[in-house]
Amino acid sequence: MRIFMVLGISFYAVVLIIIGIALMAFSLNLFEPLDINNLVLYLQSGINSRIIVGLSGFLLILISFSFAQLILGRFQREKTIAFATTSGEVTIALSAVEDLIKRLGGVIPEIKELRPDVIATKKGIVVDLRVILKSETNIPELTLRLQEITRSKIQEVLGIEEQVFVKIHVLKIVTAEDKDKKKRDAEKQEPGIPFAGYGRFGQ
Amino acid sequence: MHREETRTDLGAIKIHKNVIASIASLAAVEIEGVKRIGGDFTSGLLELIGKKNLLAVKVEIDKNEEVRIDVPLVIKYGFNIPDIANRVQENVRNALEKMTSLSIKDINISVQSIERG
Repeated sequence: MRIFMVLGISFYAVVLIIIGIALMAFSLNLFEPLDINNLVLYLQSGINSRIIVGLSGFLLILISFSFAQLILGRFQREKTIAFATTSGEVTIALSAVEDLIKRLGGVIPEIKELRPDVIATKKGIVVDLRVILKSETNIPELTLRLQEITRSKIQEVLGIEEQVFVKIHVLKIVTAEDKDKKKRDAEKQEPGIPFAGYGRFGQ
Repeated sequence: MHREETRTDLGAIKIHKNVIASIASLAAVEIEGVKRIGGDFTSGLLELIGKKNLLAVKVEIDKNEEVRIDVPLVIKYGFNIPDIANRVQENVRNALEKMTSLSIKDINISVQSIERG
């Protein structure tokens, strides 16, 4: 896998250097626009050269795709919690833990929206919660309850004894008026149908 | 693709990696609490065009003919993950040993997501 990484990086470095040199040469007037035109015409003239150009393009797309996947896969692999069992290793993606916490939003009715961000550190699991609350909520009481629920749920579902730190950041408090206002705005924006009631009179 | 090969008096029996992946994925989804087999971008694309999600389960066979399997999972909300992972590992091991008599070295589980059941 490492060799693919080295090959991919070298390939991109070479391609970018070639593009850079070409741009610099063009700015220094080392070749004319006509030369580029001639080169393009030459490439388009024969069926063989066109096939080569087409295949090179396809190959470039394939290389880019596999390289991007390699990098993304590497990043994804790093963001996990892992533990070993007798049969092998179990890894849990941090995004799965985030999914789990999002579901907790439905358990507490005072929470309008919950956006979790989970980081695994050497000290334990750090959960950063950004919440949007409904109005008339006792924030200290609710946040304490949310911290307790989050911590116990993570420890219960993941079966870990590591420390779970839950940080809460209240982003917004939505009032009932806000909801009504949004509803009214939506109704206002709906265009009225001209002569909608016409002809109904007397029916 | 590498195949597990066994020699008998009558000839060779080869088991394709896809067969091992199929058995592993079927055994995994049998466990209550497993929503489905997860997958990466490529397996998702293949699934879209109607190919089975076999690429998601990775099978490696080493020189000593020991099998290593990586099973990505999506777990149902409300289930204990280590418990589910243990049961999946056991079920996959039993199914593979019963059906193929292969020597299983590791069954690695990676929980990719949690969804409502």
